[in-house]
Amino acid sequence: MKRWLLVLLLLAVPVAAQTVGNQPPPDYSPKVFEIAKKLRCPVCRGESAAESNAGVTQEMRRQIAEMLKEGKSEDEIIQYFVDRYTNWILYEPPKKGLGLVVWLAPVLGLLIFGLGFYAYTRAAAQREAAMVDVDDAEIARVEAELEERSRSGGKS
Amino acid sequence: MNVRSLIGLLVVLALGVLFWWGMQTKDQRSELPTALAGRQAPTFEMELLDAYTGKWGQKLNLGDYLGKKPIVLNFWASWCTVCYEEASVVEAAWRRWGKQVMFVGVDTQDERSKGNEFVARFGLTFPNVYDPRGKIGIDYGMYGVPETFVISRAGKVVERHAGAVDAPTLEKMIREVLK
Repeated sequence: MKRWLLVLLLLAVPVAAQTVGNQPPPDYSPKVFEIAKKLRCPVCRGESAAESNAGVTQEMRRQIAEMLKEGKSEDEIIQYFVDRYTNWILYEPPKKGLGLVVWLAPVLGLLIFGLGFYAYTRAAAQREAAMVDVDDAEIARVEAELEERSRSGGKS
Repeated sequence: MNVRSLIGLLVVLALGVLFWWGMQTKDQRSELPTALAGRQAPTFEMELLDAYTGKWGQKLNLGDYLGKKPIVLNFWASWCTVCYEEASVVEAAWRRWGKQVMFVGVDTQDERSKGNEFVARFGLTFPNVYDPRGKIGIDYGMYGVPETFVISRAGKVVERHAGAVDAPTLEKMIREVLK
């Protein structure tokens, strides 16, 4: 029992650490991290400006906090970074132009899969419907006829 | 070949093309776009590293030079090992073109004492400002040190080079803004 408790405790430690790590530090409002999440870290791979602890992202978060204090809207702040880094800085591709293709691709893929699946099941149903149900009496009759034929040496 | 085989072949071919395209997609920072190309260069006023205060004053205001002569803006840091490769190249270019082109170095996200050591080690004589938070870097849409920007006589960003700049590349960039 004690061993199980120890295992559970060990498993709980990283979970608890994760929760604490994701909490915004007290000097920035959650809104800062909400906006930073939408921006890429320029010096990392696959990390947003909210998750990364690189110097440049710390400065990005500081600038976001400053701009929020100045009363700038989220769109204005994001545009500030796009003006300097192009759309590359956006963590998620924009829902217009070429970026729209990225958003629509999974839907299109699902649609193609759905159509394929529908065509397959429909064809299977048609094949099944084409099969004629034969009752036991008919099977017995055909078996008897086949036996009769084999006895008579295949002569009808 | 029946229709089913043809469709299968096309799907495999499409996947192959997709894979090839994915492999071609470059994530080389030097090839990432600069949003500033052709636009007015952001100005700044920053404290200079210790070696330059005697000649240039406590602070350098880029606005004093923008629109007057071409500018080479070089971002570096003492913790960046690649920056050691290019420091002497930038200094040599400054000695060669310093009368026609203004050179400004930006020691970014660094410790001031280490920045001072760096400029002393390479004998950098062009002014280098100290930007501990990396604010100027964000203004220029910098991805990481080292990066070098050339700004035209009209004060517009012409080109950006990411990574250590070598002598021929820097010369080409400078000749571009001297035209």
